Amino acid sequence: MTSEALPLTARRAGTHRLSPAQVIGGLAVLLVVAAIASLSLGPTGITLSSLPRAIGAALGTHTDAAATREQLVLLDIRLPRTLLGMFVGASLAIAGAIMQGLFRNPLADPGLIGVSSGAALAAVATIALGNGIAAPLLRPLGIYALPFAAFFGGIITTMVLVAVAGRHGQLMVGTLLLAGIALGALSGALTGLIAYASDDRELRDLTFWSMGSLGGANWPKVFAVLPFAVLIALMAPWLIRGLNGFLLGESEAFHLGINVERTKRAAIVTTAASVGAAVAMAGIIGFVGIVVPHVVRLLAGPDHRVVLPGSALLGAVLMLVADIVARLIVRPAELPIGIVMAAIGTPVFLHLVMKRGIGGME
Amino acid sequence: MLTAHAATFRINGKTLVSDIDITVPPGKLVVLVGPNGAGKSTLLRLLSGELKATSGSIELDGRALGSFSAAELARRRAVVPQSTALSFPFTVREVVMLGATVPGFTSAPEHVERLASDCIRTVGLLALEHRLFTQLSGGERQRVHIARAMLQLAIAERPDDAPAILLLDEPTASLDLSHQGVVLEEARRQAREGRAVLAILHDLNLAAVFADELVLLSDGRVAARGTPAEVLRDDLLSRAYGCEVRTNITPAAGVPFVLPHAIRNR
Amino acid sequence: MFFKSTLYAGIACLTLAVSLAAGAIEARAEQTIVDAGGREVKITDTSRILSIGGDVTEILYALHVDDQIIAVDSTSQFPGDALSKKENVGYLRALSAEGVLSTNPTLIIAAGDAGPPPVVAVLKSSSIPYIQVPDDKTPEGVAAKIRFIAKVVGREAAGETLAKDVDRDFALLAEQRAKIKSPKRALFVLSVQNGRATIGGANTSADAMLKLAGAENAAAGATGYKPMADEAGVDLVPDAIVTMQGGPSGPPTDGIMTVKALAQSPAIKNRRIIEMNGLYLLGFGPRCARAARELMVALYPELALKRASTAE
Repeated sequence: MTSEALPLTARRAGTHRLSPAQVIGGLAVLLVVAAIASLSLGPTGITLSSLPRAIGAALGTHTDAAATREQLVLLDIRLPRTLLGMFVGASLAIAGAIMQGLFRNPLADPGLIGVSSGAALAAVATIALGNGIAAPLLRPLGIYALPFAAFFGGIITTMVLVAVAGRHGQLMVGTLLLAGIALGALSGALTGLIAYASDDRELRDLTFWSMGSLGGANWPKVFAVLPFAVLIALMAPWLIRGLNGFLLGESEAFHLGINVERTKRAAIVTTAASVGAAVAMAGIIGFVGIVVPHVVRLLAGPDHRVVLPGSALLGAVLMLVADIVARLIVRPAELPIGIVMAAIGTPVFLHLVMKRGIGGME
Repeated sequence: MLTAHAATFRINGKTLVSDIDITVPPGKLVVLVGPNGAGKSTLLRLLSGELKATSGSIELDGRALGSFSAAELARRRAVVPQSTALSFPFTVREVVMLGATVPGFTSAPEHVERLASDCIRTVGLLALEHRLFTQLSGGERQRVHIARAMLQLAIAERPDDAPAILLLDEPTASLDLSHQGVVLEEARRQAREGRAVLAILHDLNLAAVFADELVLLSDGRVAARGTPAEVLRDDLLSRAYGCEVRTNITPAAGVPFVLPHAIRNR
Repeated sequence: MFFKSTLYAGIACLTLAVSLAAGAIEARAEQTIVDAGGREVKITDTSRILSIGGDVTEILYALHVDDQIIAVDSTSQFPGDALSKKENVGYLRALSAEGVLSTNPTLIIAAGDAGPPPVVAVLKSSSIPYIQVPDDKTPEGVAAKIRFIAKVVGREAAGETLAKDVDRDFALLAEQRAKIKSPKRALFVLSVQNGRATIGGANTSADAMLKLAGAENAAAGATGYKPMADEAGVDLVPDAIVTMQGGPSGPPTDGIMTVKALAQSPAIKNRRIIEMNGLYLLGFGPRCARAARELMVALYPELALKRASTAE
């Protein structure tokens, strides 16, 4: 920890930061471009130039087959998919940033509080038991049984975790971490048990679900995640101040006037809600939660005023780009998005790390 | 004014401090000394509001400390910690600016920026302003925290408020001779400007030079209280530290000694 | 000149007659069908068919409408032409809505298994007729499936012939089954991983096929495809082991030889390991009876069964 006359070269991330305006502005522009691309590109070759006709078909003024097809593709397939992709990418990235601030560790991942494994367990149970034991419970929900179950599985796991780690009125972050790991292991074991009891077809479904996909995006799903998007948008600004103070430690955060317990609980609730909703809609998609906040920090520093909104924007962009590739690269089939995400993201991330260093982390 | 009445703190069956009466008056630099384990840090944490007294009371401006919200407290007092772990690449300036994080601060950004620069200059870190915090030595980090606390108070205080309180937990640990002087000069200057300042010091000689009031803790109790001359006595110190201590004796001829009162900053 | 105009009139009439006949065949494609999902689906154009499901594709090829197929899914592995000549929309339970639409089908014929459900919902809501095929894994079910698909594509006559052949094959199979005095115990091994075998218990296509071939499923105590416990495996004592033909990890027989629990079984001792193609054996498509028969021949060589009437 001694400063052995480290030369202050320009390569040290300390002086080479982009301004918040540059980062947020740049990412916002990038998001608009990505969204337009996501709406314009697809295996059918229909582009945004068909948008007027598609809207006409929706309103009933155009009734020819071509316009109906364009309506189906642009408004019922691509638009909900783009919106859902933006939500999933943004919420996974923000959740990662919040977790890293809460645990004061750049390697923290939203899955640490057990919400991903809980959601996965519930999804596995639904896939495997949905036609058997759990059928009467799940059938009325129709095609929403899976997202519903996944969401509640995630939230319940997190609630159990907070109850375990939050005794004596104080939420112990260290206990949270260990309990999260333990619960994750338990969920994994239960998942394995259920997978054991499922047949070949169910196992296949499980495999695909665990690789993530935006292929099932539709308007009801978009409306279902809207309240979560609002929740995150409301909580995030409040969390920024708390998480910044947290970086110096909980004592220091208290001394700076931050309500430590409330910040911890708000961080967990926001993370659980956003990850639960994202996993429920799109399956397990890794990588975004850890890497995106890192990239934003490498570019703009660790101030959460930039890291939270920046992560949301970059997460959304990354998800949209990965989704475009996923649906074009083996057309007319589709690749699971988790694979594409890792394939695109890893080289970019490694390049950044080598160019700018790991941001002075010890 | 920050006072403790018969404050006791017990945890897990151990009593860390018991029956402590202490006042941190505005305009004075109060120094806490005592051996390790005497309860100095615990007392500081009770006074800062981080810990709740098991019995007895801590009062600020006549109100129980527990009745203040974290945000209200942050406007009345700042704490300079012994050390912090920081694993994120904040620059020195950014860490200092965290002092302005307190909820409810409405100062204009340029005003804050200017104050931050003043605080950084005062602790002598202007040259390192944009260096990463994680690349600093222990002493340099300490000075950053002092600047941060100073910024917090500088922004918080309004003219009609009661004077703010500054609490420092071993601020001179791992500091050079010159910097020790700088830090304690600043602490004294804060006190002269009307603030209430309490510092835990390890070095009895530093305490002797800078303290307006000295409080000697031993085994969780106040062993002595008063001016440095009244407290730094052979019998009191020997009892507190558990060894034979003789004050005001110069070393044998030819053996040099360097005392803080003889150090001047240029 | 009179001669010429008669000639032209004759040609015109002939052309008209042929086109009417052709048109009649085309026109018969317009119909409303109630599919296996209970939906009423109106079919007008069968010229661009998207076939989802290995058995569905096999049946369409057997009905000789393969030139009307424009795309298939990745499980459509027979005949070999299907995947090599047609577009591939991916795994049948992981379809892409826009991907399917981009192949521009005029008719989608899909196995009941197709998924994921939200994508199927979008396809059903599009203007393209989506027909869900019945999925009964029994001899009667196979014939019914063939007749259903034949009706959908307007090839009832060919479908009836094919279905009758299938019925006859199964009937013959049942007769030959009756002749078996002591049924052999067979074990279906789905895969082997690290010396552990996954076997087919009750309620699987493998179980149904073993029964059709006149064997007793040694693993009937389990349900579904399960990993075989080492100790329990010793008690299974299959006379023969049935497995799917080798994939990229090498010939399955090698893998099966590594399963210690089976080492003492008659199947391994007599090297009675029967490899068959996965879709052929388990697809419950038109070759189902033939597959069951092949299995029976392999299990009971001593019965010297005659070949069935249907040619390759």
